[in-house]
Amino acid sequence: MAAQGGAAPSTYTPTPTKKTQRSPFFSDSDVDWLRPDGRGFHQCRAAFFRTGAVNSAAGSAYAEFGNTKVIVSVFGPRESKKAMVYSDVGRLNCNVSYTTFANPARGLGSDNKEFSSMLHKALEGAIMLETFPKTTVDVFALVLESGGSDLPVVISCASLALADAGIMMYDLVAGVSVSCLGRNLIIDPILEEESFQDGSMMITCMPSRYEVTQLTITGEWSTAKLNEAMQLCLDACSKLDKIMRACLEEAASASQD
Amino acid sequence: MVGLSLGEKHFIQGGIDQNLRSDGRKRDTYRPISVETGVIPQANGSARIRIGATEVIASVKAELGRPNALQPDKGKVSIFVDCSPVAEPMFEGRGGEELSTELSVALQRCLLGGKSGAGAGIDLSSLIVAEGKICWDLYIDGLVISSDGNLLDALGAAIKAALSNTGIPRVQVAAGASGDEQPEVDISDEEFMQFDTSGIPVIVTLTKVGRHYIVDATSEEESQMSSAVSVSINRKGHICGLSKRGSAGLDPSVISDMISVARHISEQLINKLDSEISAAEADEDEM
Repeated sequence: MAAQGGAAPSTYTPTPTKKTQRSPFFSDSDVDWLRPDGRGFHQCRAAFFRTGAVNSAAGSAYAEFGNTKVIVSVFGPRESKKAMVYSDVGRLNCNVSYTTFANPARGLGSDNKEFSSMLHKALEGAIMLETFPKTTVDVFALVLESGGSDLPVVISCASLALADAGIMMYDLVAGVSVSCLGRNLIIDPILEEESFQDGSMMITCMPSRYEVTQLTITGEWSTAKLNEAMQLCLDACSKLDKIMRACLEEAASASQD
Repeated sequence: MVGLSLGEKHFIQGGIDQNLRSDGRKRDTYRPISVETGVIPQANGSARIRIGATEVIASVKAELGRPNALQPDKGKVSIFVDCSPVAEPMFEGRGGEELSTELSVALQRCLLGGKSGAGAGIDLSSLIVAEGKICWDLYIDGLVISSDGNLLDALGAAIKAALSNTGIPRVQVAAGASGDEQPEVDISDEEFMQFDTSGIPVIVTLTKVGRHYIVDATSEEESQMSSAVSVSINRKGHICGLSKRGSAGLDPSVISDMISVARHISEQLINKLDSEISAAEADEDEM
């Protein structure tokens, strides 16, 4: 599937921060080092979204960022499992799994518990859980192909699927990750870059409300670098939000015709 | 789970607003911390940490293994946390699983650094015995014995204490093994290597209740939180990991503020912990 030409831009590259260029300390600095796919350090892959990927689900979405391909379907709100105790707010149940062919080496296709709980934490704050008391909304994400930055793509795609299912939300949730390699920050890393990264940061935020729903950092970061990476992520999130909204508008206008 | 009446909730929230918490602490004061090292003789290193009514044990076991093919010059470290039903009935069966995974992932994120091993609190290259052939595998296990909030900070501190208590046997590699053959090793039972634990970060969790954030929340206070940010910070003041809990979103400027507050608190915590750990080690030697 190729990104289709539309009013919305397909990439969410953040605008370059106005930074005074310092002369490099070492003449052999690795600035002319290239990313494997030829992108600039602060350039994102083209993002493609489409809603309504699965017919039987209440809402679903497909996302494709370079080689990362993800499908998310949303079921419910439906009756909670019998074992659950009464709750006057709705429940959110998230599950992220990988296909057996998602990775270069054939995997077991198992559930990813860590990602499932991260997805839950990223979306929880955006959904108006009080609008569906006593019931559960299930969010099932399947990573068809893992090409790096899987979790942010899953989260963005899931929030689009929730919107498609008509679940009440405060805002869409957009996720972006940044990798730190040596002294460089690279946005939207691919699998290869992720395996060599010195540190990583992932932000998921609600761009219209300017609120961060989830933030994780690994590796060692100085304050200056931390702030730079946060700005980069937040800027990219708001751009990604525009692409996601354009996708929803397109789906809505198509259904009206 | 904590069941609180409306009155109790207001009392806790009101106390935090006025900088006087239910147990008389200020917003940025820790409960008394006590450290005991060498509690598990079977392990290479162990420690028990008590912060108020929260009690955790961390143990470090070292085994010889083969290094990862991608990183032949580095050892391996894995961290697991077990939430025992001893601490709380809801941890029985699979009940504690979710919390265990959450804590394990957060600790791994905070202590093990990036994929390439940069920024890790534990120097993985010190675990190598013979490059590409033999390395030490460290298994770090955390056990929650009693749970009254602030588990992540307690576990982080316990792991730090357990690692400084860890002695790894010196290994002699027999020369002469060529090619792909695994060389023979001789594990000394007298000589031990000590770890350099100065680079190991501490974890500071700031829990946001209302408009304020507090450190070292009890489980009653945690039940009132809107969100919590756990930051791991090393002696240099660098951030080594961060994870967020709780559903409510946070403004990016609030996060930056929380990070700088956490950095300030971490300085005191690192000093406090270091003196407690060395006191505990001295106690152990006397016995």
